[in-house]
Amino acid sequence: MILTPESVAKIKEKMGKYPHHKSAILPAITIAYWQVGHLNEEIYKEISKIINIPIVEIAEAATFYTMFPKEPVGKYLIQVCHNISCALLGADSLIEYLENKLGIKKGETTSDNLFTLISVECLGSCASAPMMQINDKYYENLTREKVDKILEDMKKQA
Amino acid sequence: MADGGNNITLTIDGREITVPKGTTVLEAAKKMGIEIPTFCWHPKLKPVGACRICYVEIEKMPKLQVSCATECMPGMVVHTDTEKVKQGRKAILEFILINHPLDCPTCDKGGECDLQDNTFAHGIDDSRFDFNKYRFIKDRKSTFDDVRLGPEIIRNQNRCILCYKCVRANKEIFGEYDLGVFQRGNLTEIDAAPGQQVDSLYSGNLPEICPVGALTNTDWRYKVRVWKAQQVKSICGYCADGCNLTLWKRRDKIFRSSSRRNDEIDEGWICDIGRYGYQIANAENRLTTPLIKKGNKQVTSTWDEAIGLIARKFKEIKDKKGGVCIGGMISPTLDLASLYAFSKYFRTVLHSNNVDFRNDYKMLAEKYGDTFGKMASLEFKIADIEKSDLILVIGSNLIKEHPIVNLRVRKTVTKFGASLYTLNPFATKSGDISTDEIIFNAGTLEALINGICVSLISQKLNASDVDVSNFGSMANPNTVSSASKITGISEERINALAMALGKAKNITLIVGEYIKASPLRELLSIALNNLTIIAGINKKGQIGFLYKSANSKGAEKLGVIPYPSPNLIGKMKEIWKYYPDSNGLAADRMIRAAKKEEMDAMFVIGANPIWAYPDGQFAKDGIEKLDFLVVADLFESETTEKADVVLPLSSWAEYAGDFINLEGRLQHFSAAIKPQNGSLPAFDIIGRITVEMDKPIFESVEQLNNEIKLLLAVLPEKAAQSLKLGEVKYSEEKISPDFSIPLFVTDDLHHYGHHTKEAKSLAAFGSEPYAEISPAMAEKLQLENTEMLRIESEVGKIILPVRISEILDNNVVVISRNFATTPVNILQMRKKRIDRVKLSKVED
Repeated sequence: MILTPESVAKIKEKMGKYPHHKSAILPAITIAYWQVGHLNEEIYKEISKIINIPIVEIAEAATFYTMFPKEPVGKYLIQVCHNISCALLGADSLIEYLENKLGIKKGETTSDNLFTLISVECLGSCASAPMMQINDKYYENLTREKVDKILEDMKKQA
Repeated sequence: MADGGNNITLTIDGREITVPKGTTVLEAAKKMGIEIPTFCWHPKLKPVGACRICYVEIEKMPKLQVSCATECMPGMVVHTDTEKVKQGRKAILEFILINHPLDCPTCDKGGECDLQDNTFAHGIDDSRFDFNKYRFIKDRKSTFDDVRLGPEIIRNQNRCILCYKCVRANKEIFGEYDLGVFQRGNLTEIDAAPGQQVDSLYSGNLPEICPVGALTNTDWRYKVRVWKAQQVKSICGYCADGCNLTLWKRRDKIFRSSSRRNDEIDEGWICDIGRYGYQIANAENRLTTPLIKKGNKQVTSTWDEAIGLIARKFKEIKDKKGGVCIGGMISPTLDLASLYAFSKYFRTVLHSNNVDFRNDYKMLAEKYGDTFGKMASLEFKIADIEKSDLILVIGSNLIKEHPIVNLRVRKTVTKFGASLYTLNPFATKSGDISTDEIIFNAGTLEALINGICVSLISQKLNASDVDVSNFGSMANPNTVSSASKITGISEERINALAMALGKAKNITLIVGEYIKASPLRELLSIALNNLTIIAGINKKGQIGFLYKSANSKGAEKLGVIPYPSPNLIGKMKEIWKYYPDSNGLAADRMIRAAKKEEMDAMFVIGANPIWAYPDGQFAKDGIEKLDFLVVADLFESETTEKADVVLPLSSWAEYAGDFINLEGRLQHFSAAIKPQNGSLPAFDIIGRITVEMDKPIFESVEQLNNEIKLLLAVLPEKAAQSLKLGEVKYSEEKISPDFSIPLFVTDDLHHYGHHTKEAKSLAAFGSEPYAEISPAMAEKLQLENTEMLRIESEVGKIILPVRISEILDNNVVVISRNFATTPVNILQMRKKRIDRVKLSKVED
């Protein structure tokens, strides 16, 4: 089992909240994601057994939502918005800056397993573009200096 | 306008129409003969409005609406042919074609493709999207970006227009979860579920309903252009459901079969056995010439020589010892004319009543008028299952025995909310939709049924017009608690089922092979008869003792059994001016007689008793003792090996004829191709033998058909009114502790009888023998998948690779008989109500 007894208990608790187990698919996927940091077939299989829904339905939902990484990622998943508002305010050069600073390409993870860099569609924070999301937190009105500081802080914390 | 709330009147293209509430605009338009293009719509699926090609304009609605998902409303005014609609459809097509490869010249769907047709009718020949098309490539070795999803299914995602029909049908209709829609946006793809392949029994329907060439069958790919193939109306020749097929042929070869929708039976779905089973007609290893045993070897011969020998030998035996020393077994997958000619030949030429079509059942009835026969003659209609609010399936692995009845049951449960109760000695696929899946201890079904009857009575839910005061003395066990102890089913569950039966308004009772194959067939039939009466099923619903093979019901109706009904005998006498007065022997009695050397010769057509009879050693011993054995079949078999004369037989695709399905529905099938490889249809073989014996029994097939008509017109006795409660006393079976695990021999999910392993596509689903056990049993025996399992009964032993079942969850072993190198029936004993074995791991 990949999922811990705590995760299983949380999923079971969510199941009780819906008239049909199928509705618990997304909460279950999310709980698994919070525990593991990514999703894969083995996890779909475990969820399928817990909530008694065919594995295909779990995989369909999980692959539909690109926000769930399907491969292991670093401790900090950096998701830079590349849609129009952010792009106009320099998202592309920001991504390039991050790539150079971290020494990885978009989609890769640093060798110390600390950072994974990806670019994503609009995160709904156009007023504060350019922006990025690291794990579940937004970092807005970004400049190179700000990015430097954020990464420094994270490295210190890690 | 609204009329009593149930009918709705609306206007489409200037004409008024009144439709029932709930009808969609698309359906209403179809009724009026107005054509609206569709991709994702399917008459048997819930609408989703995914493709949007079915746009119509509805007054007072600001935007175009999808007609497939818009319900008719009173006073609606719909236009299907305005400029706005045309523009809308054009835009949708332009959109769908953004990434479609337009590889029609190399696409199998060409000529029957909805996208081709709709683009032809509504599209434009230019696109504003002039960038490179997105291309899915998984396997760069493949030219056309094909990905294999299952043994017979190839996917080309580039062609897919995301109508989701395949995934929806798979889940909604078939209850299969091996196919899904993954990712999103232009990366969306149809794919097999993680770690699985698309190999359900219904997988062949998915390419058939695909509106484009995204899913194709390997069977048909790149063989024939659809417009160059001729379509022949046929009927499936395997199980008794009687699905309507179209066979597609070109130059005397069949290339595919597809569904010819009949809403009374199949609703446009066929199982893979029906879809690929035609391949036996074109199989390479068909018998090609008659063989005659000379010394210890079978040598090739000619039809004239073989027929001459058969005629001479049968005449000799009949003259010397009488026709009672000749036995006949015929396969119920043959047409009516052949079955009838067989019976007429035996009865009027050989003067023998030894004819039977049931060569795979233990201990058959010895005279006419048993309860089993009565129950089996009751009226049953597949479409009427839908009227039921409770379906009770007893002793049937429904998906294996009757794939299409299974779909109707699924529909009634999942779409109309009926409850399903299944009573089986092991878990089956139907369990996923059962209200209660009752798995009783093997061999205790009569006790369980008694328990349900008693419970109905004690809850005062029994049919009011039946006197049940004596039932307690007629039944053993006669309390719910003792029934519970014997069967291993808790009292609560028995009572709950009885309660459901009592409260149900319309019940369909389906009875399967577990009862028919059992030597306690009659006792079980009486028990079911009691249940029918006490629960009043005969008055509120229908009872289906479902016949097994394509023409089993026909064989029964024509009296191809040793003891036909008196009415039928009367009619035969009238037509033939003769009827033998000897007692006839049923299939198993014939084998016993042969074993005792009381039978000299046997004529077997299309059947393989040495392989099929549920006591292999007994069948082999008996048949080996015959002086003269004639076997006609498509392929070499365990039984042809022992034959003195082997005759090449034609498959049902090679001649025209009729089948009677399990409902009693007479259906005609046409010949798709000529008899292959020098084979002959059975009626022709029989005709030639009778001519050679100077006693021709028919001059033409028309004559046979006319006589058949007369026999079919004979009404069966009115069984329903004469049902009476009978005595059912359960007796405990003595179980040796060494051999305690129940053995069930069945057909593999993708196979039927001894022919289908020669169909390439079906062999692709499985062609290796295996024994299925539950995960718990596997753990106990420390066995992993494909490791070797030794299965021993009191009379035989075989070793097979194990398959750990996803469905089985009790201590039984289920073996598919279809491809065993050693026939599985050597483990079986004819007198045992349940065959029992011991299992052990084979250490290397």
